[in-house]
Amino acid sequence: MGGELIDRALEYASRSSRYSEARYMEILTNDLSYRNSEFEGMDSGKESGYAVRVINNSIAMAYCDREDWGRLKEAIDHAVRISMKPGKSSIWEGNSIKDSWKVNQRKPIEDMSVEDRVTLARDFDSLMKSAGADVRMNVIHDKRTKQHYVNSVGSDIRGDVARLYYFYMVGVIENGEFEQSTKEYGSSSGYEYLDSLNLEERITSDVRDLHESASAPRPSPGKFDVIVGPEISGIVAHESCGHPTEYDRIVGREGALAGESFLTGKKFPFRIGSENVSVIDDPTIQGSFGYYRYDDEGVPSRKRYLYRKGYTDEFILNRESASMIGRDSNAGGRSSSWDMEPLARMSTTYIEPGDYRFEELFEGVRKGIYIKSFTEWNIDDIRFNEKYVGKEAYLITNGDLSGRVRRPVIETTTINFYSAVDAVGRDLEFSAGMCGKGDPEQGVDVWMGGPHMRLREVYIQ
Amino acid sequence: MTADLVDDVFRRLQKEGFQEIALEFARENVEQIRFSASSTDLHNYWDEENLSVFAAMNGRTVSTVIKDPASVDQAIIRLKEVALRTPENPSFVSINREHQTYGNGMRSHFQSADLQDLQNAMINGSLAAGAERAAGLIYNRNSEITVKTSYNECQFSTGGLEGVIRAFKGPFTGQEAQHFGFSTSPTGKTFEEMGSEAAATASATSRMSEINPGKFRVLLSPYVMGNILSYSSGFLSYYAVETGLSCFAGMLGKEISTGEFSLYDDPEDYSGVGSRMCDDEGTPTSRLEIIGQGKLKSYLHSTSTATRAGTGTTGNAGIISPRAWQMSLNAGKTRFENMLDDLEDGLLINNAWYTRFQDYRNGIFSTVPRDGVFLVKGGEVQGALSGIRISDSVMDILKNVTAISRERKRVKWWEEISASTMPYVMVDGINISKAF
Repeated sequence: MGGELIDRALEYASRSSRYSEARYMEILTNDLSYRNSEFEGMDSGKESGYAVRVINNSIAMAYCDREDWGRLKEAIDHAVRISMKPGKSSIWEGNSIKDSWKVNQRKPIEDMSVEDRVTLARDFDSLMKSAGADVRMNVIHDKRTKQHYVNSVGSDIRGDVARLYYFYMVGVIENGEFEQSTKEYGSSSGYEYLDSLNLEERITSDVRDLHESASAPRPSPGKFDVIVGPEISGIVAHESCGHPTEYDRIVGREGALAGESFLTGKKFPFRIGSENVSVIDDPTIQGSFGYYRYDDEGVPSRKRYLYRKGYTDEFILNRESASMIGRDSNAGGRSSSWDMEPLARMSTTYIEPGDYRFEELFEGVRKGIYIKSFTEWNIDDIRFNEKYVGKEAYLITNGDLSGRVRRPVIETTTINFYSAVDAVGRDLEFSAGMCGKGDPEQGVDVWMGGPHMRLREVYIQ
Repeated sequence: MTADLVDDVFRRLQKEGFQEIALEFARENVEQIRFSASSTDLHNYWDEENLSVFAAMNGRTVSTVIKDPASVDQAIIRLKEVALRTPENPSFVSINREHQTYGNGMRSHFQSADLQDLQNAMINGSLAAGAERAAGLIYNRNSEITVKTSYNECQFSTGGLEGVIRAFKGPFTGQEAQHFGFSTSPTGKTFEEMGSEAAATASATSRMSEINPGKFRVLLSPYVMGNILSYSSGFLSYYAVETGLSCFAGMLGKEISTGEFSLYDDPEDYSGVGSRMCDDEGTPTSRLEIIGQGKLKSYLHSTSTATRAGTGTTGNAGIISPRAWQMSLNAGKTRFENMLDDLEDGLLINNAWYTRFQDYRNGIFSTVPRDGVFLVKGGEVQGALSGIRISDSVMDILKNVTAISRERKRVKWWEEISASTMPYVMVDGINISKAF
């Protein structure tokens, strides 16, 4: 690993700044894809570089991708010069921490042969084809990130993270009707994660469901009791809890991009829905796609309740946003790469399970819809008005499933959704995603999830 | 890293047995200022060099990005190892083998613009026009690019200034997001006017209106058209057509919009930051008619996709997956103010985001309007709307275009709108849904 200039960079930046930090990251990646039975080549990448943040009258960052002191010094000089201009300049400095951490792998990424990677993708493609998928895309991506972080308070933290990501898309044509499905699986681990997923069963049933959904009728619009699966609980937790509780959004820092938050200007704690709903963001879950022991600002991670029993609780904070409300950072600072600023980000965001058995959720549902998974979704820029289109979905009549329905649409608001939740299952499942934010846009690895939940009287389009 | 290193990597790949090679060396200086609540959040400065490598050996393809001269040896060993141990890539036929000649292009006139001054001009413009606060950012980019292949070599500059400002007034917002390539000379006044325009949108009404879901005549701004066409550009790539994930599949030569509708890919337009002299395999770029007078005229091709389709490359490599560089929708005949009059009962939508598809093959999507969403009656704004969506399909929207404005804007915003030039477009019968 490089990064020999990091101490020199920090020392040099500290001479002419009120607070400074330096981070070196080295990222090794492998990507390969299979499309409709055709191998599409393999890309192997290595990126590394320094990010230096200095604070004087404002905050400035400079990035240098070279082990070249002249170039790095020039970048720091530039950052110091522009940090003398006026702007926001507060930051939570915290205490000095010295530590190192790593993600353990049972089937290490670096031991995975090229042939093994190709075979994996080819086998997934063959499985999809056998199941009757007309369109097939498989992407396998692995990443090893080594990082060294130092700051002017005295912190010195090294991290070594392995992450694995598998994405697929399948499409089927049934009697001229098309249905598609995308799935993302990710973990902080080696390749052993894929062995644990029982992908053969998952992929086969996904393709089978698409065939059945393609010939199912659309539901008649109206009010239904709705049972949502963990995939929907997860996307809801991510989009309408995780994002609006990122404190930088609340204060408007993403105003011209991903927007602000419906919580901007509210008095806290603010009621978001029924007391049955609590939402957690937890970077400490071993193996999760968004796992980290220290964030990218050298702050130790911990579990955070974002909503607790229907009310806002904590916000997601990085060093900069923590200083705005006089709190300690709760380790939300993440950068997607060496040349990106750390923003307040999620990790694993999920609705806390309740105590209902799956079967219990259906009891007493006279006219309902069970929406197990989703396809299209979106949400407005204050994270209030959202839409989820069902992928695998069934009518419920008097507590029993009574046939598939195609593409039921929940189009509602955050408060209406959470207020309608009257029962929360005891199960818990996660799915992976790449969460986008910032400019330049930074995609960070996250999990999202939750249990099955029952919502009363939801308007379905 | 220097141009000498590019030649060195090229020679070494040849020596290792790679028969076809395409290298792209980019030296990039990028400065950015971000602001919110009307003051600076952060200055960013990037000084980076990247060498993108694509190489083929006996039908096997490999690719990587080399950033550090010290890692060249390791990268070449890895590339050869992967090439020897992977199957053939049927998506790759060849890179462009014809000898090419290139124009003079546009040389950089990169200036170290004072982004703080431009930011202040934007903020002051918006505050003077009634905004309560503003957020946004400015980029100054300069890229020196060399594309060297087994058959050709091309050098050019690209980049320029980009500005985004979002003005806030109570619950109302307005946004401008424009780009200025090397052939333009934007000034502080230009950025001040962007601020004023964003504030004017945020100040257009102080009333909220309500509508029921249904079909509406909608006047879509350059930003909304830029968003829909940016997301749709992937479907115009022959890669998506071949995959079975394009709503434009099977439509070549067919009428898909009004005769007034012509869409180009225009990388030769140096007034935009998406200008480019050649594609990833050294084919010179040129103005490509994608939709001409309402008919689908061409998909986006590289040499490989074109060979598979039995046609010629359009200069849009992406060697495996072609892409658009800088789209341009032609100006129409109608003045914007007349289009507003013609709206009668309809909606005016100034921006949209979070466009997502439930069905790529049929282009069925929804997108969330923002930054100026108005109910219009008799050409007058009645009030603002919130909580609505455009829930429709790309093909139906194109089919139902009724008018295109004379006025156009160079629009670019974040990951939502790629660098393009777009007019206002009137569309009948757009399906509008809303939250319950």
